[in-house]
Amino acid sequence: MSDAVVVGSTLDTGSPEPEEAAGPRGVLEVNDVMVEFDTDAGRITAVDGVSLHLATGETLGLVGESGCGKSTLARAIMQLVPMQRGSVRLEGTDLGTLPRRELRRMRHRIQMVFQDPRGSLDPRMSVSTIIGEPLRVHGIGDRTSRARAVAEAMELVGLPTAVSDRLPSELSGGQQQRVGIARAIVTDPAVLVCDEPVSALDVSIQAQIINVLDELRDELDLAMLFIAHDLSVVRHLSDRVAVMYLGQIVETGTASEVFTEPRHPYTQGLITSVPRADAESATRLQTARRLVLGELPSLLDPPSGCRYRTRCPYADDECAATEPPPEAVDHTDGLHSLRCHHWRDIAVRSGAQPSSNSQEQAP
Amino acid sequence: MSVLPLLEVDDLHVTFNTASGPVHAVDGVSFTMAPGASLGVVGESGSGKSVTARALLRLFAITDDVRVSGSVHFDGADLLRVDERRLRHVRGGQIGMIFQDPLTSLNPLMAVGEQIAESLRLHRGMGRAEAASEAVELLARVGIADPEKRATELPSSFSGGMRQRVMISLAIACRPRLLIADEPTTALDVTVQAEILLLLDELRRSEGMALMLITHDFGVVAATCEDVQVMYAGKLVEKASMTHLFDRANHPYTEGLLRLVPRFEDAHTGRLHPIPGQPPITGGGGSSCAFAPRCAHAFDRCHREIPPEVAVGPEHLSACWLAADRAKEGTEAGRPWRRTP
Ligand SMILES: Nc1ncnc2c1ncn2[C@@H]1O[C@H](COP(=O)(O)OP(=O)(O)OP(=O)(O)O)[C@@H](O)[C@H]1O
Ligand SMILES: Nc1ncnc2c1ncn2[C@@H]1O[C@H](COP(=O)(O)OP(=O)(O)O)[C@@H](O)[C@H]1O
Ligand code: SF4
Ligand code: SF4
Ligand SMILES: [Mg+2]
Ligand SMILES: [Mg+2]
Repeated sequence: MSDAVVVGSTLDTGSPEPEEAAGPRGVLEVNDVMVEFDTDAGRITAVDGVSLHLATGETLGLVGESGCGKSTLARAIMQLVPMQRGSVRLEGTDLGTLPRRELRRMRHRIQMVFQDPRGSLDPRMSVSTIIGEPLRVHGIGDRTSRARAVAEAMELVGLPTAVSDRLPSELSGGQQQRVGIARAIVTDPAVLVCDEPVSALDVSIQAQIINVLDELRDELDLAMLFIAHDLSVVRHLSDRVAVMYLGQIVETGTASEVFTEPRHPYTQGLITSVPRADAESATRLQTARRLVLGELPSLLDPPSGCRYRTRCPYADDECAATEPPPEAVDHTDGLHSLRCHHWRDIAVRSGAQPSSNSQEQAP
Repeated sequence: MSVLPLLEVDDLHVTFNTASGPVHAVDGVSFTMAPGASLGVVGESGSGKSVTARALLRLFAITDDVRVSGSVHFDGADLLRVDERRLRHVRGGQIGMIFQDPLTSLNPLMAVGEQIAESLRLHRGMGRAEAASEAVELLARVGIADPEKRATELPSSFSGGMRQRVMISLAIACRPRLLIADEPTTALDVTVQAEILLLLDELRRSEGMALMLITHDFGVVAATCEDVQVMYAGKLVEKASMTHLFDRANHPYTEGLLRLVPRFEDAHTGRLHPIPGQPPITGGGGSSCAFAPRCAHAFDRCHREIPPEVAVGPEHLSACWLAADRAKEGTEAGRPWRRTP
């Protein structure tokens, strides 16, 4: 794990601000990204002014309800959807301004792992061809060095050499996802973007794949953006987390802070909703229901002011009138920030503390 | 318990004949449920949970080449032996079912209110108008806002969570005495999952209906069920109350499942502990402990004989030779090994 000074994921106010000069630059810097889509029913803003930073060896977990914009953000970072605004810098280079050919050259430094292992692999290619493909596309190395890189990647993800010549359909779901990961790391990327990499897998396979990612990160010093809806998995893998709601990041901080001292009512609701195998499970869900009211509003008609106000038990007139700006939680390491007018008045709901050593503290 | 059981499953076997040989999906399953009971069924994918649920109602596809034996007594009658007419009456009537993907079980071309009303007319003999207004009531009952309007809409205009609510309202429309929910929240967001689980729990309490909930998530069971049974390769390997299982899981497979997933309350505590290998694709039907190839505690006997179900605590059963040997020695019939911290 990197013990370098971590560049925090600062929330953006929506107006692009100059980067802070101090501190080492992140390997990935996403600044004020906005992505809009035209749908039959009108224009929607899927990602609305998101900024985040990743340092080498660091994992940022991205959580939020289905449809909140996680995958769209990931695709914007990968330059797979056009951005209306904002920038994505990879190792200091602004990907958005690069000419096509230059962009292709940079691509091998940032790679992606997808949810559906089977659907993301070409069914007619052998395992070793699939894994070596990015090297050929990017024109990296010669035949021998490519074969060596493929063998190394396979070993790193725990694929036996015996499966090299098999087709994806001849592999188990877990092996297919290992192929997807091997293909992503074969180009020796600096950043790995994982979009729900274990959601489609059975529980026992999930654990294996999580371990593979965990080991890779340590071994290769990868910066990882990890998207998952399973908060336990996110907590397990992430150094920091960002909580997304209707296209915006509403709270971010170190995983331990956000998960044990969530400040934003939505984060509190999310965390309380996780069913845990303990005796308080049912009562906790009752609490969760009071923190997340009703249904997710449509992106076609997002609420004015604070986007969470239609579901927030603390909402008042100010919440409807003005959008809460990002604020840092003072007493902490400076990484923890959120968007809520009333967070100082809302008690910390220690979402993830073992009841035995309760460190609940008043805000 | 002195109450007559509502459901009594005895030595249920389900075998599919497939091109690559027989699959013993359910291999001698026995359990009972009292009226109003809540039972969670947990296990890896392919362990036989869904087939068990389908077998209770003989819900198989016409193309299935399937052999079922044993008995399923529900309300006095053996559902495996009653005629089709009686069975249709039980399905969707006295026993309701909810599946993981509500879209595949709702008719995409029919307004949801109509679907519910149709079931009410069929099972509760209601007239057209009465059924229509009861359908709206039911939608309101499961927390759907503006039920009059939503009743006229097609399933496709509902979000995932709302669709699952519609499924639930359909399943409870005929006031079933047993509701079988197969992974009802697996495809849903945690906030929506929380609401659906609360809804199921409230319905169980208010309607006095028994709930059988199939899931791979012990957290989901903890939130909704008093009892739990763990399934592996077509067999129930452990049965206990949920509170008992938390700190006294006995069977090595149950322990494995509990250690497999990161617990939310733990920060990163090193690597996870996957159970090595995979469940047998042919299900049960062997003459040894089916878990032996993956079990860190297996010894000779496990590979030679099927472990019997033995009591390891009050209303706590485990099918493992370690537990059986301890029970015979008269030593503490507790857990065979401790969970590493
Ligand atoms: N129609 C069928 N024909 C042949 N085999 C089947 C059929 N349905 C299920 N099986 C087999 O029966 C076994 C148990 O399947 P079942 O669907 O009950 O597992 P499960 O525990 O519900 O898994 P999941 O969590 O994936 O739903 C598996 O080996 C499966 O492949
Ligand atoms: N290509 C597209 N065209 C129109 N709308 C889209 C497109 N891709 C995503 N969206 C919409 O953007 C929003 C965010 O989607 P997505 O990022 O996929 O959510 P998540 O990954 O968090 O589930 C959703 O409302 C989705 O329907
Ligand atoms: S700003 Fe208001 S509505 Fe938004 S989260 Fe805070 S209290 Fe709730
Ligand atoms: S019977 Fe043997 S192989 Fe089976 S679970 Fe017990 S110890 Fe393991
Ligand atoms: Mg997505
Ligand atoms: Mg199933």
